[in-house]
Amino acid sequence: MMNIKRKSIGNHILHSKFNILHWLSALFLALYSLILSLSPAVQARNWDMEYIYANGHAHWLGFFAWLALSTLAEKNLKKNLPDRDRYLFPIASLLSGWGLLTIWRLTPTFGMRQTLWLTISITVLIIGIKWRNLLPSLRRYKYILLVSGLILTALTLIFGTNPLGIEPHLWLGFGGVYLQPSEPLKLLLVIYLSAYLATTSLQRQKAFPLIFPTLFLTGIALLLLLAQRDLGAASILIMLYASVLYLAIGRKRVLLINAASLILVALLGYFFINIIHTRLSIWISPWDDPSGSGYQIIQSLMAIANGGLWGRGIGIGSPTLVPVAHSDFIFTSLAEETGLVGTLGLLALLGIFLTRGMVTALRAPSRFTRLLSAGLTIYIGVQSLLIIGGNLRLLPLTGVTLPFISYGGSSLLTSYIALLLLLKISNEMEEPALLPKPQPYHFLYALLILGLFSSALLNGWWAIVRGPDLLTRTDNPRRALADLYVKRGTIFDRNNTPINISTPRSESLSPYPLEDERLDDDVFLRQYLYPNLSPIIGYTNPTYGQAGIELALDDYLRGLAGNPASLIWWHHLLYGQPPPGLDVRLSLDARLQEDVDQRLGEHRGAVVLVNAQSGEILVMASHPTFDASLLDESILKDDDSPLLNRATQGAYPLPQVNILEGLKSSKISTDLRIPVAKGSPAEVAMLASALSNGGIAPAPRLALAVNTPQSGWVILPALGETTELFPPAKSDFLVESFSTEERAYWQLVDASEEENTTWLLAGTPLNWQGTPLALVILLEENNVELAEEIAEILLGNPTE
Amino acid sequence: MSAPFLLILRFGMTLSLYAFIGWAFLFLWRSFKLESELLATRKTPPLSLSYLNHKGQKKTKHFRNPEITLGRDPHSDIYLENETVSAHHARLAYHHGQWWLDDLGSTNGTTLNDDDVETPTIIINNDQIHCGKVPIKVYLAMADLSPTTQRI
Repeated sequence: MMNIKRKSIGNHILHSKFNILHWLSALFLALYSLILSLSPAVQARNWDMEYIYANGHAHWLGFFAWLALSTLAEKNLKKNLPDRDRYLFPIASLLSGWGLLTIWRLTPTFGMRQTLWLTISITVLIIGIKWRNLLPSLRRYKYILLVSGLILTALTLIFGTNPLGIEPHLWLGFGGVYLQPSEPLKLLLVIYLSAYLATTSLQRQKAFPLIFPTLFLTGIALLLLLAQRDLGAASILIMLYASVLYLAIGRKRVLLINAASLILVALLGYFFINIIHTRLSIWISPWDDPSGSGYQIIQSLMAIANGGLWGRGIGIGSPTLVPVAHSDFIFTSLAEETGLVGTLGLLALLGIFLTRGMVTALRAPSRFTRLLSAGLTIYIGVQSLLIIGGNLRLLPLTGVTLPFISYGGSSLLTSYIALLLLLKISNEMEEPALLPKPQPYHFLYALLILGLFSSALLNGWWAIVRGPDLLTRTDNPRRALADLYVKRGTIFDRNNTPINISTPRSESLSPYPLEDERLDDDVFLRQYLYPNLSPIIGYTNPTYGQAGIELALDDYLRGLAGNPASLIWWHHLLYGQPPPGLDVRLSLDARLQEDVDQRLGEHRGAVVLVNAQSGEILVMASHPTFDASLLDESILKDDDSPLLNRATQGAYPLPQVNILEGLKSSKISTDLRIPVAKGSPAEVAMLASALSNGGIAPAPRLALAVNTPQSGWVILPALGETTELFPPAKSDFLVESFSTEERAYWQLVDASEEENTTWLLAGTPLNWQGTPLALVILLEENNVELAEEIAEILLGNPTE
Repeated sequence: MSAPFLLILRFGMTLSLYAFIGWAFLFLWRSFKLESELLATRKTPPLSLSYLNHKGQKKTKHFRNPEITLGRDPHSDIYLENETVSAHHARLAYHHGQWWLDDLGSTNGTTLNDDDVETPTIIINNDQIHCGKVPIKVYLAMADLSPTTQRI
């Protein structure tokens, strides 16, 4: 007929140019493989070929296998299905190549297996292309096909295994090959429903008796999946049944009844079935338990945030931090390494694929092929949206695969069979069948496109708008990873003696008991050169996080503050990491500190020595101490609480001296960048400073300066303000009353037998010409002798 | 430095992805245009019908529209005032590249070259239609068919 010719002419004109899609996907995947090969050099930040050779290039095997297979398939399609839809295969082929290489990048052994599955899938596709009577046979044997699918699924209840040896048992294994029958079951259900509903006239009023067989068989399939606790497959089954029935009957009430029953099941499940309850509550509020039940989804969102707009680059991100990144969370992996630009491209490809699928349905010459192609398109669309939405927290998370992309042989093969049927239907050039009710096609297509749009918007929200907040969360493991590859700033004392320093592991001074054998020799490790200061300076630890000054000045030490914004942006774009950290200088004097720590020894207590004029803290000791490089569970559980900074966090009963009465309501500023408790030795030290400084309490300072690349050492100002605590006359009078002939400094001691504490306040005397100093000693024992001894060390023979 | 070089490769990779999408949209646009242009060139081949009106005069009417109604209804394209003709007697329609004759459930039936017309039937040049007892002669200008037909 003339019509056939008309379409053929149209195709012929465009025909020769369509190959460009194939070569563009080949270019995309070749660049993907090349970047993956070169990425170790970026991690090491050099061009050292050693890194490039040392790493596996096995993924090129995947690339060339893909290239050969898809070229072969393209040739066969050209010969056997000349009038097929021109977009379906190139898109599916690009998606499966992208997925294949991503799986190679995540887990090479899975990549190898997926390559074999791709070979099988393409072989099935080519055989199917040549099988002339495929569609009529499917229609004729609809019951046999569906029932065998049901039997296979039922067998998993008895013989079910899991390739990973864990729950749930959704697979059937024979000789090392695993099949997940719920994947083909969805496809077989669509075939059965289209075949059955195509032969039944459903336009009459009493449709129910006619649809009863479909309801029965779908119900059995559903029960089998629910018995396996395969919620993802079960929800897809319900949606597919509703969609195909709606397309066949054309009444909206079909959809409404299905939506209502889905919501009802969800509600009932929320209250009575554990697994549904858990899934839904994680979806509603994952932030309640970020390290437990909400871990997966929060890690997923962080990975998407880390991808940002441009992505971290293939092999440069850390997508493996997300559990099951190769199957359920493969969309997240793509988002992290190719960024929002990559995932928007993916969603656009899906959009074109679904559009062409629905166009194929409209042009289909018979009712059966029309229902079948629409059903298959909806199957691909719904399953993609369910898992992409789950990764983005648009929908509750269900463990289904992303068609064509995710790891999994059954999933890939099923997707390719769906593609095969779509291609065959699109090749039939007869006049389209009559379409009495077009609304269901409009409605379902609009729904799929709406889902893609919502995913794109939410993807942008997590990647761009919420991205920075998500990345600075302390449970973002990428921060600890960056510490390994980017030099963290050094913490110096006031005389530029290093206290905490990051050095390459090969130059490490002290061996790390907790170190990871897999780490390279040139990763940076934090060295704590002055372990006694650990309660004050704190630590940066991949397992235990951060504390003390390391936490308070983290932004400088990590290079996220003090560096030009453009440098931070550039480093994030190139490496996904901050620029090298900045050094900071503290007010502490390591020499004095050592004297105090030595004398204090095993005694519990705290010592604070302050420059009474400038507020600079020269000594801050808290005993017992610990070694931050030996941090482990036993230190956390130690009854002596060595982690506690007693100088700032110890709230002790104040000495029974009337001058301290006012302290409870005083407004002494104690902002040290690390938290300071009311009544702690650090706060009392500021009061003592007021006595040594004519009644004026200075604003305390612990961090003095930061070494910026642009302007060198820049002062970090005190955060608080100086306060006049006493009138000068009163202060002089008090100091006078605390001074004695035998000492060169004033001193106030309060030892309490019942509280078992010793307080000692001391400072430089009146008319002192040098730097005024103030000292507070607290001992968790009744030991005036020791306190006086320490005071003598610090104030007895002043050198300044 | 390796990272800026890789950044260029990364950019190229993204670009090739979008080139793919861009080409796909370009093809979609082209085939859309091509299909619409092909539809626009499709014209109804002119059809002429000769019949005797109620006064016994021979009349010939020329048509270019794709649907022609015949009947005793005065609004019919071919108005046949004869008691053997029903009000909405028959219809000629052009689709699928052909002119089709269809009886609209008339009382006395329609014949094509003396065969009863029960289902839509293709007509060709010089066919003889009878609506009841009224004869109608069909003239199809074959040379003026849709241009796409000529390219077969």
